[in-house]
Amino acid sequence: MSFRTKIFVSITATVVLAVWIVAAVVSAFVTTSFEQRDAQRTATLVAQFHREFDRRGADVSRRIEAVANSDTVQRIAVNLAGSHPDTGQYYDAAQALASDQSLNFLDLVAPDERIISSAEWPARFGYQESWLAESVDWQAQGTFLKRVELADGPALGLITVRTVKAGDGVLFVAGGFSLDQAFLDSLPAAGLHVELYRNFDPQPASGKLAAALVEDVRRQARELTRTDASASVTAIPLLGRDHQLLAVLLVESSRSELANLKRYIQGTATAVGAAGVLLGLILSFWTASLVTQPVRELASSVRKVASGDWDTRASIRSKDEIGQLARDFNQMTQQLTEQRDRMIQAERVAAWRELARRLAHELKNPLFPLQITVENLQRARQAAPDQFDEVFRESTATLLAELNNLKQIIGRFSDFAKMPAPHLEPVSLNQIVADVMKLFEAQIHAPGHPRINIQLQTDQDLPPIPGDPEQIRRALSNLVLNALDAMPQGGTLGIRTSSLNGQQPAKVALEVSDTGQGLTPEECERLFTPYYTTKQHGTGLGLAIVQSVVSDHKGTITVESQAGKGATFRIELNA
Amino acid sequence: MRLRAWAWLALSSFVADLSWCATRPHYGGALAVDLSTTFNTLDPAELPPNLASSIAETLTAIDARGELEPRLAESWQREADGRRWRISLRTRVLFHDGQPLNATNTAPALLAALKKTHPDVVVTAGGQTLVIQSDQGLPNLPVELAAPAAAIIRTGEGSSIIGTGPFRVAGWEPGRKLTLAAFEDYWGGRPYLDSVAINLGSSGARADVFDIPFASARRILPENTRVWSSSPRELIVLVANGVEPAVVQALALSIDRVPIVNVLAQHRGEPAFGLLPEWLSGYEFLFETPPDLARAKQLISGVKLSPLTLSYPPTDSFARAVAERVALNARDAGITVQAVPGSNGKLRLVRWLLNSPDAARELDRLAVFLGVSLRVNYNGPPKLQSMFTFEGERAILDSNRIIPLVHLPLVYGLAPRVHSAEKSPSTGAFSLRLENLWVDP
Repeated sequence: MSFRTKIFVSITATVVLAVWIVAAVVSAFVTTSFEQRDAQRTATLVAQFHREFDRRGADVSRRIEAVANSDTVQRIAVNLAGSHPDTGQYYDAAQALASDQSLNFLDLVAPDERIISSAEWPARFGYQESWLAESVDWQAQGTFLKRVELADGPALGLITVRTVKAGDGVLFVAGGFSLDQAFLDSLPAAGLHVELYRNFDPQPASGKLAAALVEDVRRQARELTRTDASASVTAIPLLGRDHQLLAVLLVESSRSELANLKRYIQGTATAVGAAGVLLGLILSFWTASLVTQPVRELASSVRKVASGDWDTRASIRSKDEIGQLARDFNQMTQQLTEQRDRMIQAERVAAWRELARRLAHELKNPLFPLQITVENLQRARQAAPDQFDEVFRESTATLLAELNNLKQIIGRFSDFAKMPAPHLEPVSLNQIVADVMKLFEAQIHAPGHPRINIQLQTDQDLPPIPGDPEQIRRALSNLVLNALDAMPQGGTLGIRTSSLNGQQPAKVALEVSDTGQGLTPEECERLFTPYYTTKQHGTGLGLAIVQSVVSDHKGTITVESQAGKGATFRIELNA
Repeated sequence: MRLRAWAWLALSSFVADLSWCATRPHYGGALAVDLSTTFNTLDPAELPPNLASSIAETLTAIDARGELEPRLAESWQREADGRRWRISLRTRVLFHDGQPLNATNTAPALLAALKKTHPDVVVTAGGQTLVIQSDQGLPNLPVELAAPAAAIIRTGEGSSIIGTGPFRVAGWEPGRKLTLAAFEDYWGGRPYLDSVAINLGSSGARADVFDIPFASARRILPENTRVWSSSPRELIVLVANGVEPAVVQALALSIDRVPIVNVLAQHRGEPAFGLLPEWLSGYEFLFETPPDLARAKQLISGVKLSPLTLSYPPTDSFARAVAERVALNARDAGITVQAVPGSNGKLRLVRWLLNSPDAARELDRLAVFLGVSLRVNYNGPPKLQSMFTFEGERAILDSNRIIPLVHLPLVYGLAPRVHSAEKSPSTGAFSLRLENLWVDP
C-alpha cells in the first residue's frame, strides 16, 4: 500500500468514523425522544379512552334507567305480573325503546331469563339469557363490557342492566352502546392508530406485531408494548365482568416518521461521509504532493544510486524529517562516492602493485637467463677465448629465445590492454565450439600429453547469437586452455551448448567443465580479477579476458566448483 | 255502590239494543277500502279472489267448506264418460251493460279460459245451454269452471270489464284506484252498498275497510277498529334449491314454528307442517313434526356444511323477521344461514296465497308455483280425492325442497260503521265479500 493510499485511508476512515459516531449519537437521541413522545401520546390516549369509557358508561346507565322507567316497560312489567302473561305482543318494543334512547343494544328479558324483545337481534325472542340469572346487584354493578350476540356475529358492548319489579319476579332491562371502531374514532388519536381487537374475532389482529402482542396479552392479561422497525404497539387488555379477556385495545404509533428521520440522518451522514471521502482524496493528494513528493524524489535518487549513478543528490525542500532524510541521504551518497573513489584508488594502486609484481615476476624469469648468458659470454671471452664463438652462438640463441619470451609476455599484456570493442554479427556458437576443439585436437592427442576425454554436447537447435566470433573464440580457447591446465594428470573435458527456453530475452548457454582439482570458494571469488592466477606459470589475464569478452557481449559468466571435483564455467549470452 | 252498578247495567242494556239495531242490514252508502297491494289489470285471474267474484262471476263456485255449488250455471250434466258436458245457464242474469246472459255471449270467455288447459276443447252454444267437449276428457270441468280465470266477462271500454257480479266497474285507474258501483239488476239481489272506492297500494288505516298485512312491527289501529281474519289462506314456505336433503331435513327439524305464530304473527295463523292448511286438507296434522335439535344435528353430522343464504322479499318486513328467526333456529342446529333480501338464495322464503277452497286445485297450483312435479292423479272418485291430495302433498314434501313454516289468514280492519250480513262475520270465512257488507247511514 502506497503512502498516499495510507494517508487517504487514514483521512477517510477518520472522517467516516467521526460522522458515524455523530450520526449514531444523533439517531439514538432522536429515537429516545421519539419513544418518549410516543409513550406520552399513548398514555394520553389510553387515559382518554378510560375517561370516554367511563363517560359513556354513565350515559348508558342513564339511558337504561330511562328505558326501565318508561311506560312501555312498566306496562310489560304489569303484564308479566298477570296470571297469563302474553309477551309476544312486545316483540318489537325494544327496537322502539332503543331508538328513543339511541342505544345500540337493548334486551327486555322476562323473569325466567327469556328474551321478550331484543333490539339488536329481534329474532332472538324466547331465547334464554342465562347470565342474568346470576345473583348480582345490577344497580351497583354499573356499566361493564360484554360480548353481545348479533345475527351477523358477536359484538362488544358497554352494557348496563336494570331491573323492574314484575310481580314476584323482575323484568330485566339490559342494553348499551356498541364498543366498535366508531367509538374509537371519536377518541382524539393525535396521529396514533387505534384498533380494537375483539377476543372472539376469528381473524388475528392486523399486522404481525399486533397479532403477536395480542397473543401475549391473552396469556398474560396485562398491558404490553412492543416495537419493531415500522411501528410501536401498546396493547391494553379490556376485561369483562367476570374478568374474562374480551378485547384488546391496540394503540399503534407508526415509526415511519422516526424511520424517515433516521433515514434523513443516515442520508446526511452518508453525504457527509462521502464528502469526507472526497476530502480525504483531495487531502491525500495534497498531503502526498506535500509529503510524498520529497520521499518519491528521495526514492528515485536511491534507485539512481543503486543503478550506479553515485553522483545523484536528493533535493532538500524542507527542514522537517523528510528534509533531514534527504540531507542524510546526500551525505551518505557523498560518503559512498568518496569511499568508492578511495577504493578505486586503492584498487588501482593494488592493481598497479599486482601488475608490477607480475611484470617483475614475468620479466625476472627471462632476465635471469639473460644475465647468466651475458655473464657467461664475458667469462668465456676472458677465460676461454677459443671457445667464445661456440659459447657466443649458444648464448645468442639463448638470448634470442629469452628475448622472444619477453616479447611474448609483453605482447600478452599489450593484447589485454588493447581488447577491442566487439563487432557483432550472427554467430553460430556450435561452429565456434567445433573450430576451437579442432585447434586443440593436436595438442590434446600429442604424444606424452595426459589422456583427456572430450565430451561434447551441442544443441543442434541453438539459434545464432549476435557476437564477435573472434572474441568468443578467444574466450572459449582460454576456458579450454584453463581446463586442460587444470587436468595435468588427465581427465574429462566437457563442452556443452544449450538454449535457455522460456527466458526473455532468449539466451544460450555455453558450459566448459573439467575434472581437475577444482577451486576453493576464495579462488572462485578472485578468479576473474586481472593478473590473478592459480597456476605456477600464468599471467592471470586469461579469465579476465574471458570476463571482458562476456561483459562486452552483455552476457554473464559464473563458475561452480567443488574441491576435488573439477570446475564448470558457464557463459550465458543473449540470443 | 249498588246504585252505580245498576246504572252500568242499564247503560249496557241500552248499548246492546243499539248494537242489535245496528246488525240489521242497511242499503245505501259508500264504502272506502284501502289495500296495501296493487294490481294493474282487471283480469279476474289477477284480482284478489273476493274482488273478482264481486265483479265477474264463474259458472260454478266452491264454498267455504270446499264443496262445489252452482253460480251462473244452474246445472250440469256429465256425458260421454266425462268427454262432454252439458251446462244449463241461469236465466234472468244480466251483464252490467244490461245484456242478458246466454250461451252465445258466454261461450267466447269460456272458450278462451278452457283453451289454456284443454287445447282441443270445443264449446257449442245454444240458447241457455253450453255443450263443452274434448277428446282428452274433462273429468273435473265443474271444478275448473269455478276458477277466477274462467269467470264470464266481456270486454268493456278501455281496459274495463263487464261481468255479471253484484258490482260493476264505475272507474278504473290502473294500479291506483278502482271504483265499483252497485249493480241494481244483479240476479242475486242488489248489494247493500251503493258504491265501493278501493285505493290500491295504500297502507292507511282511515278507510272503512283496510287490509292489515303481517309486518315485523305491530300496526297501531284506530280505536274501535274490528279485525276480520279469514281462514288461514297464506302459506309461508322455505324453498330449497341445490341444498342437500339431509340439510333440508335438519333445517325443518330445527325450526320452532310456534313462536313464529305466537310472536311474529301475534297468534294469528297456524304453524304449517303441510302445504295446505288443516281446514282445507283435513290431514295436515299427519305431517306435524315438533322441533328436534338433537335429531337435526344427527342428520348433518356427516355432512360438509357450507353457509346457506336465505333470501326473502326485500320489502316484506314480516318475511324478513321470519327469515331471521329461521336463521337463528338453524344456528342452534349447527347450520349457518344468512338471511338476505332478494330472491337468489339457495333457500328462498316465499308467500303463497290460496285462491280457492279447492284442495286439489290449490295443490296443483302450488306445485306449479314451487316448480315441483306432482304425479298424483286426482281423477278418481270425489270421495277419495282427499287421499290423492294427501299423497300428492306428501310427495312434494318428500322431495326435500319445501319446508312449510306458517299458515296465515288474510286480516282486515273494519271501521265501526261497517257491518257484514254473513252469519259469522268476524273470522273464519275464506274471504271478505263486498256484497255482504253494509254501512251505517
